[in-house]
Amino acid sequence: MGRTSKDKRDVYYRLAKENGWRARSAFKLLQLDEEFHLFQGVTRAVDLCAAPGSWSQVLSQKIGGQGSGHVVAVDLQAMAPLPGVLQIQGDITQLSTAKEIIQHFEGRPADLVVCDGAPDVTGLHDVDEYMQAQLLLAALNIATHVLKPGGCFVAKIFRGRDVTLIYSQLRVFFSSVLCAKPRSSRNSSIEAFAVCQGYDPPEGFLPDLTKPLLDHSYDPDFNQLDGPTRIIVPFVTCGDLSSYDSDRSYPLDLEDGSEYKYTPPTQPPISPPYQEACTLKKKGRLAKEIRPQDCPISTADTLSQPLAASQRHTLLASEVEDNEMNCSP
Amino acid sequence: MEAHEDYVWPRATSELILLPVTGLECVGDRLLAGEGPDVLVYSLDFGGHLRMMKRVQNLLGHYLIHGFRVRPEPNGDLDSEAMVAVFGSKGLRIVKVSWGQGRFRELWRSGLWNMTDWIWDARWLEGNMALALGHNSVVLYDPVVGCMLQEVPCTDRCTLSSACLIGDTWKELTIVAGAVSNQLLVWYPAAALIDNKPVAPDRRVSGHVGVIFSMSYLESKGLLATASEDRSVRVWKVGDLRVPGGRVQNIGHCFGHSARVWQVKLLENYLISAGEDCVCLVWSHEGEILQAFRGHQGRGIRAIAAHERQAWVVTGGDDSGIRLWHLVGRGYPGSGVSALCFKSRSRPGTLKAVTLAGSWRLLAVTDTGALYLYDLEVKCWEQLLEDKRFQSYCLLEAAPGPEGFGLCAMANGEGRVKVVPINTPTAAVDLTLFRGKVHSLSWALRGYEELLLLASGPGGVVACLEISAAPSGKAIFVKERCRYLLPPSKQRWHTCSAFLPPGDFLVCGDRRGSVLLFPSRPALLKDLGVGGKAGAIAGALGAGSSSEGAETASTEWGPVSALPSLHGKQGVTSVTCHGGYVYTTGRDGAYYQLFVRGGQLQPVLRQKSCRGMNWVAGLRMVADGSMVILGFHANEFVVWSPRSHEKLHIVNCGGGHRSWAFSDTEAAMAFAYLKDGDVMLYRALGGCTRPHVILRESLHGREITCVKRVGTITLGPEFEVPSFMQPDHVEPGSEGPGLTDIVITCSEDTTVCVLALPTVTGSAHALTAVCNHISSVRALAVWGIGTPGGPQDPRPGLTAHVVSAGGRAEMHCFSIMVTPDPSTPSRLACHVMHLSSHRLDEYWDRQRNRHRMVKVDPETRYMSLAVCELDRPGLGPLVAAACSDGAVRLFLLQDSGRRLQLLAETFHHKRCVLKVHSFTHEAPNQRRRLFLCSAATDGSLAFWDLTTVLDHGSAALEPPADAGLPYRLGAPCLTLQAHSCGVNSLHTLPTREGHLVASGSEDGSLHVFVLAVEAPELEEAMGGAELVPQLRVLEEYSVPCAHAAHVTGLKILSPSLMVSASIDQRLTFWRLGHGEPTFMNSTVYHVPDVADMDCWPVSPEFGHRCALGGQGLEVYNWYD
Ligand SMILES: C[S@@+](CC[C@H](N)C(=O)[O-])C[C@H]1O[C@@H](n2cnc3c(N)ncnc32)[C@H](O)[C@@H]1O
Repeated sequence: MGRTSKDKRDVYYRLAKENGWRARSAFKLLQLDEEFHLFQGVTRAVDLCAAPGSWSQVLSQKIGGQGSGHVVAVDLQAMAPLPGVLQIQGDITQLSTAKEIIQHFEGRPADLVVCDGAPDVTGLHDVDEYMQAQLLLAALNIATHVLKPGGCFVAKIFRGRDVTLIYSQLRVFFSSVLCAKPRSSRNSSIEAFAVCQGYDPPEGFLPDLTKPLLDHSYDPDFNQLDGPTRIIVPFVTCGDLSSYDSDRSYPLDLEDGSEYKYTPPTQPPISPPYQEACTLKKKGRLAKEIRPQDCPISTADTLSQPLAASQRHTLLASEVEDNEMNCSP
Repeated sequence: MEAHEDYVWPRATSELILLPVTGLECVGDRLLAGEGPDVLVYSLDFGGHLRMMKRVQNLLGHYLIHGFRVRPEPNGDLDSEAMVAVFGSKGLRIVKVSWGQGRFRELWRSGLWNMTDWIWDARWLEGNMALALGHNSVVLYDPVVGCMLQEVPCTDRCTLSSACLIGDTWKELTIVAGAVSNQLLVWYPAAALIDNKPVAPDRRVSGHVGVIFSMSYLESKGLLATASEDRSVRVWKVGDLRVPGGRVQNIGHCFGHSARVWQVKLLENYLISAGEDCVCLVWSHEGEILQAFRGHQGRGIRAIAAHERQAWVVTGGDDSGIRLWHLVGRGYPGSGVSALCFKSRSRPGTLKAVTLAGSWRLLAVTDTGALYLYDLEVKCWEQLLEDKRFQSYCLLEAAPGPEGFGLCAMANGEGRVKVVPINTPTAAVDLTLFRGKVHSLSWALRGYEELLLLASGPGGVVACLEISAAPSGKAIFVKERCRYLLPPSKQRWHTCSAFLPPGDFLVCGDRRGSVLLFPSRPALLKDLGVGGKAGAIAGALGAGSSSEGAETASTEWGPVSALPSLHGKQGVTSVTCHGGYVYTTGRDGAYYQLFVRGGQLQPVLRQKSCRGMNWVAGLRMVADGSMVILGFHANEFVVWSPRSHEKLHIVNCGGGHRSWAFSDTEAAMAFAYLKDGDVMLYRALGGCTRPHVILRESLHGREITCVKRVGTITLGPEFEVPSFMQPDHVEPGSEGPGLTDIVITCSEDTTVCVLALPTVTGSAHALTAVCNHISSVRALAVWGIGTPGGPQDPRPGLTAHVVSAGGRAEMHCFSIMVTPDPSTPSRLACHVMHLSSHRLDEYWDRQRNRHRMVKVDPETRYMSLAVCELDRPGLGPLVAAACSDGAVRLFLLQDSGRRLQLLAETFHHKRCVLKVHSFTHEAPNQRRRLFLCSAATDGSLAFWDLTTVLDHGSAALEPPADAGLPYRLGAPCLTLQAHSCGVNSLHTLPTREGHLVASGSEDGSLHVFVLAVEAPELEEAMGGAELVPQLRVLEEYSVPCAHAAHVTGLKILSPSLMVSASIDQRLTFWRLGHGEPTFMNSTVYHVPDVADMDCWPVSPEFGHRCALGGQGLEVYNWYD
């Protein structure tokens, strides 16, 4: 497969490269904004789980333009710098990171908190969904400290078995909770975004960083595990119908008449965890099993007594089975 | 709709689960395996084998099991009774079991305890349990009563990815926590002075550059091992971790895995690790790899366990397989490579070729024309003969059979062949067959009755020699029987040959990749046909005499059947006949299953060998009835088992271009090759069978994308299937005859699988896998379901045609036949025959030159298929495909599936089409009409009247003369915006008013409506051309938040009942027919990412069955 095949399979991947975005996710935030006008009146924003930084790019363009904008971007991974974006490297579920973020908003709360965080999925669904929920809850915990009343919180969710528990949790803090899926997110993906507007914590709520927000559990009345009442929030598809379809494979020459030219990725990943293993592999220095040739045979061979071959040919029943052909349709 | 139907309340119960194996534990001579919420208990039988003893169902509710902790019994005997804590996700349950004397009894089970957070590790502290929880806290829990005694968080609050608890009392309890920030935090919960007061970490250890997924502590040696996302395993010298402030020293950093490492376990003498690369590695504590276990497929190994006394390692995979491996310590005893020390002053010349006569005699020739024998028993070289005429060029081939028949053949560049009896080389027979070079030699053996030697000369002429021996065994006779002629090609010689049982034909492979069928006694055929027929046969068989090569002016016989270029340009490497099939291998990296019917070769299936083996060199049937594939993988010779996906032998021989030989008997396998002027010999005792045990076969290695039920086979009591269920646990329907549902699944792992699901045992058996696809398989369609003997035949069995399609715009059509076979665990066998295939890019490539440039897009994926059976006799069905490039394409299958052609297409949707569904409309006094419904990512549905389309363009049914572009489908007869985004499920049911149509979407909504087909008045129609019926929507309902995620399965069971399944893991029943569909009930199931569902009625006693396919497979049933 050539390097263009991903361009053909994923039109947004290709458009992102062509438009200088560090990741195709940029379109998700842009399409969410199209629907919800997320950036209206926003000057201070937090971008949690920001690397490689395409959401930060969008944020700094949309709200940093006036010069007064203030974006704080946080990620576990290192991220190439972006003008006008303050970066923190750390785990958002960790107390110390949360404290560091909050410190930037003391006295001047944020208007918008976004979190596009996703764990490196392991393929075990229950673990992945749990880890994803913890990222969201950690983001929510931070949001309760930095968000101004009426502020907006947007976070990635995995719509798996227990997503209704997240909805019930978000409903506690926001007057409106919707589930939104930008058209640039694939049909085959279980990701969606919880768009929570109107931050309005319950009366008497005291944000407490030292305790993690834990997932809700099923409620026999309002949010049943398998009963008729479940908190399923309204679903909104964002981005207009004329936008590109992320599931469709497009020819390289798009209909708008532009001619295709291969564009390399905008921002390759910075030191991924598997880097050393890959380097070793390339140099052929991964440990190998001790192969038999390294330990010559020393045991006495215990083979059955050989028979004189040339006297043998009257002998054994045919080795090949003479079965009839037995597969006629 | 009769009244009673409205009040059925079906309750679905889980009958069968196939999920990744996420927990394994050895307890005495038992093995516990966690699969979803169930525990499989295996027990060691008298023969020393582990056998399934019991499936303990539903221990963890809707949680999945991630681990077991057996309560240590200092005085007790874990082989008769045990107290087991089962945990996973946020759930914990204790069961007390008695399992002595081969009898399993569950004595007691606690409640299912729900924690507030994820459980990463659990440990018995006398009667209580310590639990390491998700945000770095430790809980002391009373598991009998179900109450929390104490909770202590760490000051360093963060999410963990793993944890390890050490110590046997609360006081000494130590936790090693793996934080998402890649650090290890060691802390002591008992250091908390008051409850709930956070404790600071005692030590922080960094080293890994990725998340830590697993840890193991070996108290006796003071070692800790960690497995990480960074693909490495680290070994730490930690001493006694229960003592605060100790030094932690990284003493080993092991890179050996090629992907993330999920599991690690320290044993007294070994370290075991396993991961996403599906490999389980056995290391020494010093970081050398001692063994590698390969065989699992898909996304990796999820669980490992070890039984040190038995030296077993057990692995459980994402493919839901469980395997047992034997630890052997350093190297493999009884196998190895040795040099046979040919070079010596008494043996001048350089070795040119080597061959094996059986597994204990090796033959080699030198460039002096000398033939040597090496006896592996006596371990010495002996010269058999020397013939200068074989000096510059010499082929050498020993006869087949366990002892090589005691014969070998040599051939030279001047058309000379020498047949040598190994024991009496002086009795060798020489023949000059050609005027030029002998290109190849091969043998064919029929039982012990007939032995042929085939030699290829110039011009594609193959001489066939009959070899027989005098009763004394001292003399041999060689007689030329006939000559064959190969089809023309540049490198025109044969490469391999075998008798086709019973022996009338020879199957040969040639250098051009073709497989050919020759009569083994063509003269006999001719004689038989004396009279009028002789000429015809000679005409058909004889290709006339060629001028260059032939000495004798006999006829050269052409093949009676040929599969030209089956294995591509690099040639066929072997042919083997077994069990009614012919198997061929080639340097295209594939092997074929063929059969011969009516004197014609027919391909049944193409199979790929293991990844990277693009030179398949041979195929052998081994003693245990399975097959092994021989081949070269870069510099290595590999013996690979397609059944276990295991590389049984790996020899670093430098590649297949030098002379090599292989032989295999039950006792030993041998592989010989030339290297640096010497013969190297690899031998392994035990041959090609391995003691490794598959405790449970694997299903698919990746997500299942489609499930289709084909039919049911009723087996009489003579086929009784053993059941693991105990008498008190009789499954519904088990009193009646044994019903077995046949279901087909396809997967992202590029395979299609035929499964047998007996209703009695609640088990699943994979009957066959079809591996022809090069990319993921996403959709299946089935048609033409029947019985092998036709409708009159009472014998049980099932036949069907299947179309599969998926990535890279690839489509295959094959037939399956399932018949009773008492020798298999399922009592069934499945035969598959590949019929045809189609690839869009190939199609386009072929069209390109003739017509305007067509956009070639091989990245198109087929998302869904529907079979539309036409009512015109003799006309194969249409297959509609939903395509990711925005098209709905119609293919025509003709000649019962042997021809697959693109007929028509439409780009109406302009977006990725997700679903197609076909249905027929039948009404009194009206023609049967065929409709197709398609649905796309924008939530729209389109209906097509195929009957009309086909009528008007009836020419379309003839293959277009100059195969150009496909026909256009025209405009749909009805479109409807049903959802706001992608439609992931679609179904219809005919009703009195017309058709009930239901669709489910990515947005979690359901859309249900009644579609009326309004035929024009009959009188009107009589007049001119037939009028086209109109589709009209009568009643339309929408259920917006029916599910919390994509609705991927939907079935209208009756006009009043519908069932839906979603990625939110709920199976929900809906009542229809009274306005809006109303919720009846729902069940939480265990398979994540369900992509498809099929439901079918089984029998009145058994009710319905429903199969859900996603990351695993689950079967539900309910009474009607
Ligand atoms: C889908 S990417 C975000 C892409 C980003 N919005 C953009 O547009 O470029 C998810 C990110 O979540 C980060 N992440 C995962 N777990 C985290 C954690 N616990 N704390 C901080 N970041 C985390 C990952 O490092 C990853 O970069």
